[in-house]
Amino acid sequence: MKQFRALYLTQIRVQATRSRLASLAALGAAGMFVAYILGRRVSTVNAAAEFVGLFGLAVLVPVTALVVASAGFGDTVDDGTLVYLWMRPVRRSVLAAAVVLAAISITVPLTVLPVTLIPLMMRAPSSIIAPSFLASLLGLATYCCVFTALGLRSKRALMWGLLYVFIWEGFVAQAGGNAARLAVRAYTQSIISNSAGVTFELAQIDSPWSFVVPLVVMAVSFGYTVRRLGRHDVP
Amino acid sequence: MTDLPRTDLPPDSGPMIVANGLTKWFGSVVAVSDVSFSIGPGVTALLGPNGAGKSTVMRMLSGLTPPSKGTLEILGGNPRKDVSLTRYIGLVPQQDGLFDQLTAAEFVGLAATLHQLDDVAGALSSALALVHLDPADARPLRTYSKGMKQRVKIAQALVHDPDVVFLDEPLTGLDPRQRLHMIDLFARLGARGKCVVVSSHVLEEVERFGSRVLVIVQGRLAAEGDFRAIRDLMDERPHRIGLRSNDVRSLCTGLLDGGAIVGVQLMGNDRAIVDTAEVAAFRREVASVAQRRGVSLLEVRPLDDDLESVFKYLVGR
Repeated sequence: MKQFRALYLTQIRVQATRSRLASLAALGAAGMFVAYILGRRVSTVNAAAEFVGLFGLAVLVPVTALVVASAGFGDTVDDGTLVYLWMRPVRRSVLAAAVVLAAISITVPLTVLPVTLIPLMMRAPSSIIAPSFLASLLGLATYCCVFTALGLRSKRALMWGLLYVFIWEGFVAQAGGNAARLAVRAYTQSIISNSAGVTFELAQIDSPWSFVVPLVVMAVSFGYTVRRLGRHDVP
Repeated sequence: MTDLPRTDLPPDSGPMIVANGLTKWFGSVVAVSDVSFSIGPGVTALLGPNGAGKSTVMRMLSGLTPPSKGTLEILGGNPRKDVSLTRYIGLVPQQDGLFDQLTAAEFVGLAATLHQLDDVAGALSSALALVHLDPADARPLRTYSKGMKQRVKIAQALVHDPDVVFLDEPLTGLDPRQRLHMIDLFARLGARGKCVVVSSHVLEEVERFGSRVLVIVQGRLAAEGDFRAIRDLMDERPHRIGLRSNDVRSLCTGLLDGGAIVGVQLMGNDRAIVDTAEVAAFRREVASVAQRRGVSLLEVRPLDDDLESVFKYLVGR
């Protein structure tokens, strides 16, 4: 437990740089400002759900998770500091868990908080608040697991991550079918959709699967990270 | 994780590191080729020019990268597969990166915590004191000089009192006083039965370790043994020397007649490149031959005294 705590706190300090936090907080703040402006014109559940789905879940959550989580191992690989975590008698799963949890901890206030506040800013009925919170939290955790693994796997994690978020989820997955099932956004938007009755362009995933599949993706990504740590050429 | 017994071994104990046919390639580039050695307690220097493969050997030894071929045992185990082995290994990597937001005490304390030491504060204070750094220094590491960062790297490698210590170019960036201190520190660790492996490309540095040497050149083990024997071998090799004189032809004839040189290559009227088998005898002869023949000796310049040439000779033997 002491090992995990030390790793977690170190990761928080290393990942949460001022410039990173400031730029990501500005993105969330901008979203809330737009929500406030929109809310002065229309304040229905549908309008709030649409804005949560199209800005919060499609842009704010994945981009924030990408920037922070891919740096978790990515920065340590780039500057050669991974060796100071790797050459220790610490189980790889503990190391991976500390890095993922640190990324989630940093990004929750930057994403889940604004997304949950968007309905309030739009003065929408409170019934949309809980689904917004749940969808953003589940999406954030999933993206963090995926992008932590990506940061360890590729030196160009940011580029691949942006391609995934904006090209795959934004365009390719819109075609529906199996492509949509490979988009995390399809599951998080489905949570909102199932609660608010709003239809998004991505495939509609039924209720249990919209929760189960992201959990499976998290588990697989985490397992990959642990396995990769054991086989990685440490710089 | 399995706990290994502590190994405060006397200096004459058996090997703590056994490498057999270590080979590492990156794509079509062979970085290390069929290197075998065993290392026991004491200080062992890994000597070789830049790009010779020392760091790759170090990285394989510490488990950071697997060999493409060959086997490796550290304290009887494989450091890449057995995470618990890292409890007995300390590593000073070559790269400069540290967690710059942390202080030296926090950084070394992190290492102590991850090694599950009972007295983290005591261990980090002792480790920092060993390298002459103040545990109470509240400045973040990003403000440290290269030499201070190097000392922090050494402190984190020693904080858990490891049995095997790998130091990749550990004296880089240190001032002469600190160099002496570190060389003494490594020697003391070796005398305590620790297995200390130090890599360096500086001959004089290795000479001061006064240790056993493994010479790596172009990814191959070029020589192995006591440093003095290797130094003698280096002095005995053929040398190439550049000469400049107002009558270089006459000078070279005299040197050839006296047996001080074994080959001549004239480069115009005033320059020549000569080969000698014995540098000391050549040095004695050249001035007296010039005097006897009444020629002016304008320049005598060794052409192959750089490390690269020395290492090339060793690998070509």
